[in-house]
Amino acid sequence: MLEVQQLNVAYGHIQALFDVSLSVNEQEAVAVLGANGAGKSTLIKSIMGWVQPASGDIRFEGESILHLQPWERVRRGLALTPEGGRVFPDLSVEDNLRLGGYLQPEEAIREDMATVFELFPVLEERRKQIAKTLSGGERQMLAIGRALMARPKLLLIDEVSMGLMPILVKRVFSVFSELRRRGVSILLVEQNAFESLKVVDRAYVLENGRIVLSGTTEELQADPRVRAAYLGG
Amino acid sequence: MSWMQNLSNAMVLAAIYILMASGLTMVYGVLKVLHIAHAAVYTVGAFAGVLIYTWVGNFWLALFLAMVISGLLGIVIYRGTYFYMLDSPRTVPLIASIGLYVMITDLLQKDFLMGPYQRAFPAQGAGLPRIETRFFTLTPKQVLILLVAVALMALLYVVLTKTRIGLGWRGAAQDREMAASVGVNLNRVISLNFFLGSALAGAAGVLVGVYNNSVFATMGDVVSYKAFIIIVLGGMGSLPGAVLASIILAVAENFLVATVGYVLPRDAIAFLVLIVFLMYRPHGLLGKE
Repeated sequence: MLEVQQLNVAYGHIQALFDVSLSVNEQEAVAVLGANGAGKSTLIKSIMGWVQPASGDIRFEGESILHLQPWERVRRGLALTPEGGRVFPDLSVEDNLRLGGYLQPEEAIREDMATVFELFPVLEERRKQIAKTLSGGERQMLAIGRALMARPKLLLIDEVSMGLMPILVKRVFSVFSELRRRGVSILLVEQNAFESLKVVDRAYVLENGRIVLSGTTEELQADPRVRAAYLGG
Repeated sequence: MSWMQNLSNAMVLAAIYILMASGLTMVYGVLKVLHIAHAAVYTVGAFAGVLIYTWVGNFWLALFLAMVISGLLGIVIYRGTYFYMLDSPRTVPLIASIGLYVMITDLLQKDFLMGPYQRAFPAQGAGLPRIETRFFTLTPKQVLILLVAVALMALLYVVLTKTRIGLGWRGAAQDREMAASVGVNLNRVISLNFFLGSALAGAAGVLVGVYNNSVFATMGDVVSYKAFIIIVLGGMGSLPGAVLASIILAVAENFLVATVGYVLPRDAIAFLVLIVFLMYRPHGLLGKE
């Protein structure tokens, strides 16, 4: 479904990604693990179209999407929960969700909003509240809900666990399992390897802009290097 | 003059300020560009209005077409200049904008366009009545300005709050990148932004032309810096802030001119209001820190 091929991305003279290749298959959940500054966010930004790579290709459902604007990529079936959530601060919870479904017909928006409220009941309680008055956890839920409103085929999630209380991290990750049951593919970019590996099928390890390791969840959980670096021994 | 009369005169002035400043603050909100050339759009609107009025004799048609022409000019300005400067430092579009303003007003002074003359715009009050009460009087021209401004601002409010593209616009004004990533076509939203804002500026030009019965190529000069006072007062990019600041500035101007007007000219008073205000609220009335 998604294929990143030999991607090189640079900001001026500083190269952030080196020959990164990875793929996400239909109905699959994949994690990209790595420390701060490994290039995880750059990867997500390239896929969404915020950053133009120097070379390489990004293909979605068999076609290159490099020349597409971010909003055209959303139309193809991508959606993003960016680092920090980035909800629209001065819009209500409801308007944030409506904006998430910007390209969807009115009927789909109504249906999906009900689904989001089912997944995150607290958002329904706060539906008229302005987003900047929400707590960090609620904002993160809103950001995920907003991405779901786009009815994505592939959901890109950047550092969802950062700054969240452990109990909320568990809650959010359980939502990902639920999404997979609904047929959404997921590309999860995370520092939190422990929780991520519980919900994905495969993972890649990114270090200093290069993929250094990849494999199925079981393989990685058993790998001594991963255990040492990301799972606390 | 009674204070009620002063207040009603202030509201007429505020209506013009609101039409002018809302487009400017909308452009700043989405693009973070100080759109100096907005005042040139105002002049072009007035010029188009007077030409069409002289030609067909119907004020409402002239107003409508002048707004459409101004709106299209706004889109041309965006797609022809700022569009290529979105990733440059903010000084680049600012300088381009100053250049555009000078270029358009100079062009308008050419003989094949307006020439260096004033043109009369004798539309009067477009047939509207004079309103007289015990406390204040509104001339037909003043009624016209209030009516048009209120109707247009109500229309703008509906577009921005009740339509999908309006929601996209509000999202883009808060976080452009994120709005693009939920599917908002930024080119379309920003073009709409320029069309609406510029159409309002064109309407302001027509109304001021009618009010003073005069249209000339440099009529945007004073307006351009007045509109800047207003969007700074209101908080850069805030539409409600611009409306509020327009009213405050118009009221302050009118009352200060009526009381200490013999000391300072009107425009000096406007700047004095700005300076004093900014000492206490540096990010404006409704702006963010």
